[in-house]
Parts: sequence; C-alpha cells; structure tokens
Amino acid sequence: MLSQTTIFTLQMIIVGFPVLMTPVIVFGNRVSEKFRNALAVMTAFVTLVLTLSLYPFVRDGKILQKSLFEILPGLSISVRLDLLSFSLAAIAAFVWFLCTIYSLDYMAHEHARNRYYPVLIFTLGACQGIFFAGDLFSLFVFFELMSVVAYVLVIHEQTEEALKAGYKYLVMTIIGGLFLFFGIIIIFELGGTVSLGTGAIITEKSLLGLLAFLCFLSGFGMKAGMFPLHVWLPDAHPVAPSPASALLSGVMLKTGAYGLMRVLFDVYAIDLLLESGWNIILAVLAIITILLGSAVALTQTDIKRRLAYSSIGQLGYVMLGLSILNNNAITGATFHIFSHAFMKSALFLAAGAVIWKTGKRNVADLKGIGRLMPVTMGSFSLAALAMIGIPPLNGFLSKWTLALGALDAHIPGYVVVLLVSSLLNALYYLPIIIPAFFENPPGEKEDGTSASRDLVIKIKEATPVMLVAIVMLALCTLFFGLTPRNLAFALSRAIALFFVGGGA
Amino acid sequence: MFAQTAGQLPEAGGIYYTSLLMWIILVPLLVGVGIYFLKSRDSSLHKALSLFAALAAFAGVLALLPLVLKGSAEFCLLDFMQLGLFFKVDLVDWVFAFLISFVWLLATLFSFVYMDFEHHRRRFYSVLIFTLGATLGVVLSADYFTLFLFFEMMTLSSFILVIHEQDQGAMKAGLLYIYLGLAGGLALLFAIMLLYWQAGTVEMMPLLDQVKEYPTLIFVLFLTGFGIKAGLVPLHIWLPKAHPVAPSPASALLSGIMIKTGAYGILKTALVLYQAPPGQEAAGYSSYLFNLGSGLMWVGIITMFSGAVMALLQDNMKRILAYSSVSQIGYIATGLGTALLMQADGAMGFTGALYHVINHAFFKAGLFLVAGTIYMYTRELELKRLGGMFKKMPLTGVVFLVCAFGIAGIPGFNGYASKTLIHDAMLLALEATGFYSIKAAEMIFTLTSALTICYFIKLFRGVFLGPVPKNLDRQYTLALSTKVVLGTFGAVIILIGLFPDFILQNFLTGSALLLSYTGPVMDHLYHFHFFAWPMLKPMVVIVALALAIYFTGDRYRWFNWQPPFWLSIEGLIYQPATIFLYNFTGRAGFALDRRVDQSYLGLGKVTGRLVARVVDFEGLIDKLYQRWGLVGRQVIQKTAQMDEGLDRFYQKSGRAAKKLAEGTEAMDSSLDKFYLKTGGAAKKLAAKTAQMDESLDKFYQKTGRGAKKLADQSARMDEGLDELYQKTGRAAKKLTDQAARADASLDRAYKKTSKGPRLLSEYVTGLEGLLHAFFDAAGKAARKIFGQRRPGGKDEPGPGEGEER
Repeated sequence: MLSQTTIFTLQMIIVGFPVLMTPVIVFGNRVSEKFRNALAVMTAFVTLVLTLSLYPFVRDGKILQKSLFEILPGLSISVRLDLLSFSLAAIAAFVWFLCTIYSLDYMAHEHARNRYYPVLIFTLGACQGIFFAGDLFSLFVFFELMSVVAYVLVIHEQTEEALKAGYKYLVMTIIGGLFLFFGIIIIFELGGTVSLGTGAIITEKSLLGLLAFLCFLSGFGMKAGMFPLHVWLPDAHPVAPSPASALLSGVMLKTGAYGLMRVLFDVYAIDLLLESGWNIILAVLAIITILLGSAVALTQTDIKRRLAYSSIGQLGYVMLGLSILNNNAITGATFHIFSHAFMKSALFLAAGAVIWKTGKRNVADLKGIGRLMPVTMGSFSLAALAMIGIPPLNGFLSKWTLALGALDAHIPGYVVVLLVSSLLNALYYLPIIIPAFFENPPGEKEDGTSASRDLVIKIKEATPVMLVAIVMLALCTLFFGLTPRNLAFALSRAIALFFVGGGA
Repeated sequence: MFAQTAGQLPEAGGIYYTSLLMWIILVPLLVGVGIYFLKSRDSSLHKALSLFAALAAFAGVLALLPLVLKGSAEFCLLDFMQLGLFFKVDLVDWVFAFLISFVWLLATLFSFVYMDFEHHRRRFYSVLIFTLGATLGVVLSADYFTLFLFFEMMTLSSFILVIHEQDQGAMKAGLLYIYLGLAGGLALLFAIMLLYWQAGTVEMMPLLDQVKEYPTLIFVLFLTGFGIKAGLVPLHIWLPKAHPVAPSPASALLSGIMIKTGAYGILKTALVLYQAPPGQEAAGYSSYLFNLGSGLMWVGIITMFSGAVMALLQDNMKRILAYSSVSQIGYIATGLGTALLMQADGAMGFTGALYHVINHAFFKAGLFLVAGTIYMYTRELELKRLGGMFKKMPLTGVVFLVCAFGIAGIPGFNGYASKTLIHDAMLLALEATGFYSIKAAEMIFTLTSALTICYFIKLFRGVFLGPVPKNLDRQYTLALSTKVVLGTFGAVIILIGLFPDFILQNFLTGSALLLSYTGPVMDHLYHFHFFAWPMLKPMVVIVALALAIYFTGDRYRWFNWQPPFWLSIEGLIYQPATIFLYNFTGRAGFALDRRVDQSYLGLGKVTGRLVARVVDFEGLIDKLYQRWGLVGRQVIQKTAQMDEGLDRFYQKSGRAAKKLAEGTEAMDSSLDKFYLKTGGAAKKLAAKTAQMDESLDKFYQKTGRGAKKLADQSARMDEGLDELYQKTGRAAKKLTDQAARADASLDRAYKKTSKGPRLLSEYVTGLEGLLHAFFDAAGKAARKIFGQRRPGGKDEPGPGEGEER
C-alpha cells in the first residue's frame, strides 16, 4: 500500500512533470520533429499511468490533504486527493493522452507545431493542478494558468476569426477569474480559511455568502459554459484545431463543473444551500442552458459549432444535477462528466478527422461521408446516439440517474427538460448521421446496376493513429454504459455518497 | 427486488431459470452484426446465415413451449447497465415470441427471392436479422427497462429497413418514423422513470397500488410511447408512409409483427401493470380503471374507423394495407380497452385482442407478401395500373383471397374468431354497464368491419380482376420458396379459421388465467361456440352492409375522394406542432443566444464609450498641459529674446569697445606721428640753432663772456636733444623690424601656396600622360576591333543570298 508521502510525491510529479517537460519539448524540436512528438506522447502517457496509479489509494476511501506552505495564516498552498480529484484527473489524463496521439497525424500538416505541443502538454499539467489543489486559492491559480495558456490553443489557426474568438475567450476568462478571486476573498474573510475538505466553511446564511456564491457561479459557470456566460464557447471551441477542441469541450469545460462541485460540497453546507434556495439559481440557469444549448445547436450548420452548442447543453445537465444536491442527482452529474468527456471528445475527433480528410465542415456537405469513412463516422454515430441517450450507451445511464435524482427531489419538471433536450439532441444529431450513411456522397454517381451498389464506393479513411483515438473513445461510450463492472459509475456513486450521504 | 428474482433457482415454483432466453435474442443480434462484416459479392452466404439465425430463434422459442405451459422461464443479467436486464416468458409472451419468430422465418425465406431484385442486400439481411433479435427482446423482457432497451434498438434498426430504397420518399418517411419513434421512446422513458421512482421496480407486474402520484400521466405516457409504435390514431401518421416504402418482406414484418410490440406494451401496461389489486382495495380503483378502459377503447374505436376510411380512399396497394393495419390495431386496442374497463371480468376482451394479434400477424404479413410478389414481377403497386393478375398468378390470387377473407372476418377464416370474441366482449360490457357509449362503439365496430370488406373488394378488383394491362401481359413463374411461403400463410389462416377452438383453449384461456381473470366469463370462454348462430349473425349483417356500401359507393365514386391536406392529421396536428417546436426552440433559442451575445457586445460598447470619455478627459488634461506649455514657451521665448538682446547689446558694446580701442590706437599712432613730426622740427631747430651758434660764436667771440655762458646753456640743451634723437631712433628701428618680420611671413605664405598648384600641375601632367596612354591604347584597340570586324562583316549573308531563297 502506498503511503501518504508517496501519494503526495506522485501528485507533485503528475502536476510538475508535464510543466517541466514543456521546455524540453520545445527544445526537442531541435533534435527532430519526431523526437519532440514522441516526448509529448510520452509525457501524456506517463501522466496517465501515474494518475491511474493513484487508484488503489482512493479506492479505499482515503483522503490526502497536505499543506505545502502558508502565504497568510489560514491561506496556504495545499494539495488534496480524494475520489472526486482522482476521477476528474483520471478522465483528463486519459482524454489528453488520446488527443495527443491523435494530434500526431492531425497536426502533421499544420503550422506552428512547435508551439502547439508544448502548450498542449503544459495545459495538461495545469489541469491536473486544478484537480489536485487542496484549497480554493491554489485551485484558482491553476485555473487561471490553464485558462490563459489554453488561449494559445484557441487561436492556433491565427485567422481573423480565431483571433476574435480568442480575444473573447481571454476577456471572459479574465472577468471570470476576477469573480473567482473576489469570491475567494469573501470566503477567506468570512471563514478564515479557503481549504477544501473542512466539511463546510459557510454554514450560515448571509448576504456576503450569497455574493460569494454568485461570484463562484459566475467564475466557474463561465468556464462550464453556463448561460448567460457561455457566449465565448461556441466561438472558441470550433476555431481551435480539432484535438484541442476535443480537450476544450471534453475536459477543460469540466474544470468549471469541478470547481462548482467543490464550492457546493466543500465551501457551503448542503443544508444551507437547500434551505436558502440558492441552489435554485443554479437550477434555473442550468435549465436555460440545457434548452438553449440544444435549441441553438439545431440552427447551426457548421459541424463543430453544432458540437460546441451541444456541449453547452450537456454541461447544463451536469449543473442541473449539481443543483438538485441529492444522491442520485450527484451520481448522475458526476457520471455525466465522464460520459460527456468520452462522447464529446469522440465527436470532435471524428468531426476533425472528416474535416482533415475532406475539408467539409458544413453539415449539409456531409452526405455519404459514412460510406467513405465508415470507421470514423461509425464512431461518430455511436457517440451521437449516446448523446441522444439511447440505451445501452453511457449517455442513457447518466440521464436515467439524473432523472431519478430529479424525481427524488419531487421535481418531475426537470425530467421533462431532460427528455425534451434528448429529443432536440436527436433532431440535431440524426440529420448528420442519417445522410452520412444512407445518402450518396456528392460526385459519387450510382451506376445503373443497382445490385453492385455496395461495392462501388472507395473507402478513404483517416490514418490509423487518428482512428485509434476516435474508436477508443467511442467504445468507451458503449463500455461505460454496458458493463456490469462500471468503474466510472461506481466512482460517481462513491462520490455522491461521500458528499451528500446516502439519503434522498 | 432484482436480487430476489436473481436468487430464484431453477424449477422453484414453476419458474425455470434458463439462459436459452438470452441466446434466443443474442444469436440473431450477433449473426446480424456478423453478416454486415462478412463482405462477399455473392449473397448466398448471407442468405444461409440469415436462415440459420431465423431458424435458431424459431427453434429456441419452440423449445420454450413446454416450460411456459407449466410455468414461466426466466433469466437475468445482473448489473448489466447498472440496473440489470431481466427476461421472463410466460404464455402471453410466448404467443408473441412464437408469432415473431415464425412470421420472421417465413418473411426471411420470402426475401431471398425478393431481394435478388434489390440493391444493398448485405445490409438488408444484416438489419433484418438484427431486428429479429431486438423484437424478440421486447417480448421476452421481464421489466420495462429491458423492454425499453430492445424497443429503442428495434426502432433504430428497423429504420434502416424503412429507408432501404434511399430515395426521397423513403428518406422522408424514414425520418418521420425515427423522430416519432424516438419521441415515443422518450415518453416511455418518462413513464418508466416515474414508475421506478414510486414503486422502486419496473417489473411488469401489478403495481397500481404503489403508484400514488401521476397514475394517469404514467398510463397516458405508456399509451403514447407504445401507441406510436402500434399506430394508434392520432399517432399513426408515420405508418402509412413508412410501411409502403420498405421492401415488401420488411413491410410484412413492420405491419404484421413490429406494430404488435406496441400492442404488447399496451397489453402489459393496461392489463398487467394497471391490474386492480386483489381483495378489498379493488373497489377503490373500480371507476378509475373503468375510465381508463373506456378511454383506451375509444382510442381503439377511432383508430379502427379512421384507418378503414383512409384505407378505402387509397389507390396504392401497400398504402391500403398500411391503413388497414392501423384499422386492425384499432380492433386490438378496442379489445384491450374493453378488458380494462371490465377489470376482473375482462377475459373476453383480452382473449379477443390476443387472438387478433395472432390472426393479424398472419393475414397482414400474408397480404404484404402477396403485394410483394406482385411488385417483384410487375414493379407496380398502383391499382389503376394493375389488373387481371388472377389469371397470371392464380396461387397469389388465391392466397390473397384467403387473407382477405381472414381480415374481413368471414366464418371459416381466422379473422372471424378474433373479431367475434372482441364483438362479444363489447356486448358483454354493454350488458354489464348498460352505457349507450358502448352501444355506439359496437355500432362503429360493425360499420368498420363492413368498410374493411369494402376496401378489400376494391383492392381485389383493382389488382386481380379486369383486363391485364398490356405492359404486364406476360408469363409469370413464381419461385418455389415464394409459393411455399404464401401457401403456408394461406394454410395457417384456413386452419385457424376452421379450428378456432384449438388456439383459444390451448393458449388463450391459459393466458387469461395468468392475468388472474376469473368468474363466469371464464366459464363462458371455456364453452365458447364460434359457429353458433348468435355469433354468426353479426357477420351476416356486416357482409350485407358491406355489399350495400360498396356498390353504392362505387356507383357514386366515393372511394376516389382525396381529403384535402388540412383535414389530415398531419395538417391538423403535426405540421403546426413541428412549426411551433422549431420556432419555439430553435429560433427562439437562437434569438436569445444572439441577444445575449449582443448584450455582451453592447456592454463592450458601453465600456468603449466610457474609455472614450476617459480619453476625452485625458485630452482635456493634455490640452491644459499644452496651454501651460505654451505659456512656458512664451516665457522661454521672451527670455531667449532678452538673451538675444543682451547678446546684441554685448556685441554692440564689444564693437564700441573695439572702436574705442581702435580710436586709442589711432590716437597712439597720431601721437607717434606727432612725435616724429616734433623730431623733424627739433632737427630743423637744431640746424637753425647751430647756425645761430656759429653766428653766436662769432657773436661771442665778438662779445666775450656773455657769449661763453650762452654756449654752456646751449651745450646742455644739445645733450637733451641728443637723448630725444636716440629715443626716436629706437622707435623707428622697432617699426622697421616689424615690417621686416611681416615681409618674411608673407614670403613663407607665398611659398606654401605655390606648393599646391605645383602638385596640381604635376597631377594634371600625370593624368594627361595617362589619358594619352589610354587614348593610345583605345585607338589601338579600336583599330584592332575594326580591323577584326571588317572580315566578320564579310561573313554576314548578303541581301542577294536572302532573295535567292
């Protein structure tokens, strides 16, 4: 069994290694491009393995909370590891690794590769730092670090559109960061500490407490694409290179949700939130976010913009689950973080492969693409069906659990919202999938003899490296829905049990 | 509760725990997937695999029969999808499973010949077999969750069957099918969630007493979800579009089998889930269940009537059959509704409905395959362009007639048995309650049955009678498998029709007992005589009515009327709903999103303006500084001016001083001159004095002593004068020295300046020499070049040579 010190060291390595590797990767380019790429993949892989190696520790329900040094009395830089940290860190490392692999081929013909890889790896370190932070202040520092550095990923293309989106992203990020900082100051003033894992810092209703709550809601909600702070998201995610979009949508959005979870569980007493009805603010915003994201996705014609709006809606599910604050709802919300990471990363990577191969971004142009790229579009379809919530895919399981949570809270209206959103998901995903497989690609003429139609179209798939990443993620949507020994679901259950107890 | 179910071991209390249930579902699913990945140009491998899977499923279902006759078979996959999958087959489920696997086998056999005329065969066989697994899964499931899983699977995979043709019509119908199917799935899901939340289980068993909240909502949601699949009006609109566009074997299965999964769901919900709890509590639910039951019955009645009317107005063979399916599902729903409203005495309605499920599966699948056979050879489905096929394909015509008699409810054919039971159930309900509404329903039932006969007469006349169109006048030879399949359907329909008691007594009464029906109705069922006059009489009425309607209608051309679009369900409900949904969600969402985005931009603008203000203020300060600066500059300028003035003053005063100095100097020189002049005057004076001395000497000599004194004085003066002379001499010498020095320096300057021109002249001479040399060389070179050029010029072709060419 690993001791606390070992675990602590491991955590420091997980955060520090990618950050330290960043300059190495930059200079690795001098040796050769391949060497640099290998370094990037190796770093992501090592981070993944080390992160997963923390599992035995958290499996036993152990918690690590360690203060590094104090800045002010009560305000210290500290490290924490519990189920929630582990879950998010594991999913982040996993998706990051696959996206790094995918980048190898995707980015091969892009410009500024020597800027892309170091930034990609650096953000991994920063992201892990968010999840391992033991207090709000450290969390905030890593949060800002990741957000600001990710700007480089957003503007990678350096087109006018990308720069504009990046500018919006940066402005919103900075404003969000200021809100967070303000919130942290209020909490420190009220409670004398911003450390996580103290049970609850704020237990009494106060105006300042509410103000801090709203600040956190704005700061973290901004990152998670919560209405009305989502406006940067549909601009920023589509313009980034596809692996980066997958990470932005699949993982980095989750840092916002993670922050909200920490605020709801570790900063405020759950009873306080339920009594004062502050959670209703979150619920209302979440509902608007869900419906708005799904509805606007309907009207988008650019495939990546459609996916970005879909992300807004899906993160709304997570926030809705969090606002309900009972066992099933938290389980559902946490599991949906897992689910959405797999689904949306798979979707973005598959869409990226299509764009990479054919240059087609418009949904209307994707007719017959499934016959040209059957594996890519097959994975896309699997992930999209999971989004709609078709059993036995993981999206169904998260919706089911969320809905049970809503019913446990005696609010069937939330279930209706979830179901309407599912229908809308179907309305914007099926018009991509169905023509992709059952209509003919433009230019591919049918020959008259209908009997041999199956065999006329030549397959033009993406490269194996890209396919590995796409297929792995798509299979995860199936695996984490179907399997009886569902690690992700067990973790979600345990997290819900840990934070809100077994009661309804 | 799941754990308990799982814990039950084989053969405990009539429950057989067997994995056969899983394999019945899994084999078709796996084979279906396998076929898709087995690429071969020849489809015989695919056919063999399909046949194998269909046979395996059929055999598996048959093997279950001994188990279900004694009890039920169960199986579960614990923790699968966290909730577990639970399978259970009792007699009711088995009847459905048998129908599915049997008709599927026949349709698969039929498709082998049919699909040879079609494209995408690999995909078709793959999906066909996969759908078999999913459909079996629906009826083998023990709880709603498992059912839902397979239900969605079936919807998605059968979608591919619907759009098989991939033309515009098929795609449009397919989209409608899948969107409504998914919406239905969501309604089901909501119902299942509400149920699970309250009862803690979703097992299909009587749970009414546990559902405290929203029982009606749950019922309506279930009815909507299953009703979409079954095609209940007004949820049927996808059906007449989707069934005709699919390939015929698939249409046969869609219409004959898959809509029955909807009926299965309604049956399980209405008669199992909403079964009144036993004992004293039942009374409390009596009127509630009566209302639900009559609601369901009326949905059935409306469905059967509007389906029949619409069928009568169609001109496409498969569309008539599709609307006929809607109508027939109405019969089933009516039977189920009657059973529900009669509660414990509902055995008659239940058996009638279940019997109709069986019968409809056979005659409707048979009819679609007949249509498929005709289409296979003629590529034609429109009644107006067909005719006289009876002579060309007699076997097909006979099978069509048998099926049509079956559906019309002619005694001796299978439909008669089920329609009689449903009709009898309505009469019993009327007897028990005495409500006129039930009487009205019974009359519509009779009218609908007559209309059914009418549209089949229309169909038969259109396809089989009359002259054969010229382009279709050729010899048709049916494949053996086609004949076998069609013959089987005909035989089954006649056998059931002749021996209706066999199924009733062996399967249906047993099923009724499973639903805990008791009382006198069961005795009535045990001793039911199908061919007694009271049962036959309504049929006679129906046939007579049908003939009357048909010939009147035909005469006045009622059946060619096309209802306007706005009158259709689509125009009345769906189109406005779709437009509303799109406008409300899509557009409104988009507008809101834009508004939010713009508000941020507006905020940005306001900030920008604020910044502009700040800039303005800064400008003000700047101006102020500038003004101050101006003042400062002026001050500085003034100072500078003053400085200049001072400078000028200094310069002026300097000049004055210089002038003063010059003046002094001039004075000095004039003094000098004056001295010089005085020197000259003194000399003259001396000379005069000497003359005067001589004269004086002479005078002295003359004069004496006085003269000597004067001489002394003169000598002294002489000495003074001498000194003066010396002084002036020194000054003159200085002057000459200076002049000499200036002369020497001038001389040196002349020497220096003369050196420059000398060098220049030297250079010029050198350059001159170089130039001379250069010109010489150039001249030489030029001479050389010219000297060489002259022979070169001779080489050029002369103009004379050019002209020669």
